[in-house]
Amino acid sequence: MIESLSTLIGPFHIKMLAVLLNATQWTVYLSLTAFIGGGLIGLIFTLLRITPINWIRKLAVAYIWTFQSVPLLMLLFLTGLGIPIFYQINVPPWVAATISLTLFTSAYMSEVWRGALQSINIGQWEAGRALGLGFVNNLRYVIAPQALKIATPPTVGFMVQVIKGTSLAYIIDFNDLMRWGKKIGNSQIDGAEPFIVFPLVALIYFLLCFPLTLLSRRLEQSLNVDSKKIMLTINKGG
Amino acid sequence: MFDLRFYEIWREQVFVEKLINGIGTSVSLMILGGIIGFIFGLALATARGSKIGLLRIPSAAFIESIRNTPLIVQLFFVCFGLPMIFEYRWPFFASALLALCLNFSAYYAEIIRAGFENVEYGQSEAARALGLGKNDILAYIVLPQALAKVYPSLVSQFVFLFLTTGIISEVGVEDLTWAGRYIADRNFRDFEVFIVLTIAYALLSVIFRGVLTATGQLVFPWNREK
Amino acid sequence: MESCVSLTNLNKWFGSFQVLDSINLSISIGEKVVICGPSGSGKSTLIRCVNALEPFQSGSVNVCGISVEKNGRNATDIQRRVGMVFQQFNLFPHLSVLKNCTLAPCRVLGLSDDEAESKAMHYLERVRIPEQASKYPADLSGGQQQRVAIARALTMEPELMLFDEPTSALDPEVVTEVLDTMVDLAETGMTMICVTHEMGFAKQVADRVVFMDEGKIIEIATPEKFFSEPTHERTKFFLSRVLG
Repeated sequence: MIESLSTLIGPFHIKMLAVLLNATQWTVYLSLTAFIGGGLIGLIFTLLRITPINWIRKLAVAYIWTFQSVPLLMLLFLTGLGIPIFYQINVPPWVAATISLTLFTSAYMSEVWRGALQSINIGQWEAGRALGLGFVNNLRYVIAPQALKIATPPTVGFMVQVIKGTSLAYIIDFNDLMRWGKKIGNSQIDGAEPFIVFPLVALIYFLLCFPLTLLSRRLEQSLNVDSKKIMLTINKGG
Repeated sequence: MFDLRFYEIWREQVFVEKLINGIGTSVSLMILGGIIGFIFGLALATARGSKIGLLRIPSAAFIESIRNTPLIVQLFFVCFGLPMIFEYRWPFFASALLALCLNFSAYYAEIIRAGFENVEYGQSEAARALGLGKNDILAYIVLPQALAKVYPSLVSQFVFLFLTTGIISEVGVEDLTWAGRYIADRNFRDFEVFIVLTIAYALLSVIFRGVLTATGQLVFPWNREK
Repeated sequence: MESCVSLTNLNKWFGSFQVLDSINLSISIGEKVVICGPSGSGKSTLIRCVNALEPFQSGSVNVCGISVEKNGRNATDIQRRVGMVFQQFNLFPHLSVLKNCTLAPCRVLGLSDDEAESKAMHYLERVRIPEQASKYPADLSGGQQQRVAIARALTMEPELMLFDEPTSALDPEVVTEVLDTMVDLAETGMTMICVTHEMGFAKQVADRVVFMDEGKIIEIATPEKFFSEPTHERTKFFLSRVLG
């Protein structure tokens, strides 16, 4: 063990770091795509979730419940292994990973925003209606701006979950940070022991996630909102 | 197009056995991890809120490290890295349990800490006015109310974490996911197998949520929603 | 008469804002003192210094023969001898009424469960709600909850009772039941300091009335003199606003 520590700043480890960092870009691309795609779909379902039309609302509830109750790992397996084998088609890992993470994100984002909307005092809705604004205008000009403020900290916080979620994609051969980390860490090369490689991989993930965590907290404070109360609202199924 | 062959799973008795054992392993790991993780999370939350820097800073660092890194990395480190450093060999179940407890505790700690902060200040004031000491106030007044307030969040976090545990199949634990892959490797009906696993995980999470919520009603009877 | 509470040159600041300014007040055993004044005058802060819930920066506070330390180190010694009733009741929602009353006597005074329970039932009878003993605070009305709060404080058998606007958060219909309870308590000889707007109560029960404004004690007098011939301008102004 001492020998490997002494080669820590050797050329081998620089190379290893370069490989890992290069692979990290795929982690980032996947995270961004899932977050933006999932965010948009989630927004659609937030609106569907609150329409007065019964059957649309029930469908939305079913969708959200489904993708919150299905493990992300299973989504990856189904899209990355299950469907290709069953339908005899080739699904590239990045396609499967993107679809899985996007669906996963959409369900949770939808709930975050629903929670934000619901946490707005009903008096605001009533004030809007009393002024003669219809449902759509009320939503657009009175409620949505306030909901946006409330929803931003937990949304930023969920981005962290998305990044962590990408770490599962290696299992369907997605060549991101985790896949390379595992390859190197589980190889028998001296200097690439698990207790060196995995903390390094963890550090890279940490450097991606922690700034977002801090940002989410700073937003929470400056927007003067308690996102924990929203999570309590969401978690009560409210 | 819909030539689904689920019977290819039930046909072999060994497949069904593996599935059932897998469910048992997943559930028991989750329960153990949940309980131990909760206790450790409680300790972490208390340390995190302490005025003593020697408690507060390491606990905060630990919580942030766990929460900002993926579970799989923690699993690999605990199951492959630690045994190499300290030169021991544990069964896969034990290593995975350790990793899960550490992981869960960090998430629970943050939720519990939010609970502490949300207990009305008047409660601890009234307790102080009665002459109760700091430890009694924490144990009898603050803790019960904090836990009651955040119990729904704790339940949701538990279920959420349960859905992430499938990955322990990668470190040798023969859980539900492992059982599924074992079967798929042998009957090549991956699609059907994963659908079964998905339904199983969803069903188990519903059961967990139901049991935990009912338990909450028993433990916190004063918490009736008005 | 023997002094129960003695405040000498008490000063307190919140940051740069002075909350209490040169407070001098001495209260004898068995005396009932009502403190009144406009919001922000420091009345609540004053009684919270008496039972060491708030620290203070200069002066001295003597309660039941113990000198309160500025940094609150002997707070618990004071608090076990002094009872306090809060505006927001602050009953423990997760404990039954009985448990609310017996928790502190068991944990602080070391009473056994049975001793504590019989004491608690005694005081619950005194405040006239013994039948609610096994209920939870959420099941009771505001007036009942406040009476439980009084019983809870009394079960510790304090030498002094502090009241911080005990009726301000109550619906008007139940204010009377709480005030009656406090009058009964006064008649047993308990030393009481009450911060309140209820002037009827002051006239009926108080030995002295203290008027505070902007952190200072402006006037101290017997109720007869206070209400009929107040000396200071600010007192007169306050009384005209309150009594209408």
